[in-house]
Amino acid sequence: MIAAKQLHMTVYASLLAALTAAGAYLAIPIGPVPIILQNLFIFLSGLLLGSKWGVASVGVYLLAGALGLPVFAGGVAGIGRFAGPTGGYLLGFLPAVYVIGWITERTRKRAVSDVLAMVCGSLIIYAFGVTWLKTLTGMTLANTLAVGMYPFILGDALKIAAAVPIAKALRPVINR
Amino acid sequence: MAELSAFNFRPGSSVLHGLDVRFKLLFLVLISVTSLKAYPVSLSVLTLVLVAALLHAQRSLKSIFKAFRYLIVLLAFIFFARALSVPGSAVIEFKAVSITREGIYHGAMVCWRLVIVVLTGLAFVSTTRPSEIKAAVEWLLNPFPFIPSKRIATMMSLVVRFIPVIFDQARETADAQRARGVDNRKNPVYRLQKLGIPLMRRTFERADKLAVAMEARCYSENRTDPGLRAGLRDWTALFVVICLCMFIVV
Repeated sequence: MIAAKQLHMTVYASLLAALTAAGAYLAIPIGPVPIILQNLFIFLSGLLLGSKWGVASVGVYLLAGALGLPVFAGGVAGIGRFAGPTGGYLLGFLPAVYVIGWITERTRKRAVSDVLAMVCGSLIIYAFGVTWLKTLTGMTLANTLAVGMYPFILGDALKIAAAVPIAKALRPVINR
Repeated sequence: MAELSAFNFRPGSSVLHGLDVRFKLLFLVLISVTSLKAYPVSLSVLTLVLVAALLHAQRSLKSIFKAFRYLIVLLAFIFFARALSVPGSAVIEFKAVSITREGIYHGAMVCWRLVIVVLTGLAFVSTTRPSEIKAAVEWLLNPFPFIPSKRIATMMSLVVRFIPVIFDQARETADAQRARGVDNRKNPVYRLQKLGIPLMRRTFERADKLAVAMEARCYSENRTDPGLRAGLRDWTALFVVICLCMFIVV
């Protein structure tokens, strides 16, 4: 039974990594910066799979990108992306998904705890992304925040709001 | 049936199809890294070589352009961001904003390099079977202890397999909703909700069926993978690619 459960989790983690890749292609044009669905699926990996399998899912996604499969935003791939200006956000996904999974594993799966977990997750992503962007471009902190964080906050709030009902609908499918 | 996306494997018998995957993976990394150091002359050579390789691998020019459909917006955005932010002699000036010659040159260079990276990725993915990618990943991760290389390789090939399935399912769900008159609803939140949740449910159910099918066929991590064999042809190709990269850097 344990092996079967593991196989299911392997397949689900791969599916979420594939969804993240697909989400990097789909952009919803609302507001000045298009909303990219990539981190919605990062949030969902944490919420649905928990810390261990969430990290596995995101790790496979990043590895696929590093090897040059076209899975990052805009279809641009390659190991060079980690050294590029958005590399910090990509690396930040790993600790973020771990923390989201860790929080949901320790709380009753309610909307409030889900939102709390995702807010912590986004803060971690921004901490990594903005620090890296700042060291790479040499901008001041205020400027970096204006470029690399403020435009995305509204989108993130919408994604968090969208992730709650999706997680609620999918948990029964996964935890059968 | 899912429409073949630009990044799908197409069977063929070209040199690119025949090369060892590990070498192709190495070429991918080498070319992406060196393209960062390239300037107009060497970039044109690189572009010509890549397009010739893609044509040789039986990809039409039309399908290459199709792959760039989504990328164009991003490229335009990067180009203008560079053109506006790099200081230098102004070409067009409008109030506080000025487009400089250096900026245009800089932006064009960055976009060209990105195009090179995508062309290389396209050449790799469209001539390599997912199972070969899996074998190469496994070979790559094998020397590292404590990393379950077999499982990671399986997950990687599942990811490649799932991406077209997701797009296929999205189209199917959208068609089903259009048939039920979802176009009459103007509220975008309502429409996204009615599209998103069934779509996610369906893809997860498909994944579930796949897991059951794997289980029923006694899936285990001990299985034989396609053999990786490096011959004279691969070493020659490596020599050619290294020469090309040296030419670019110098």
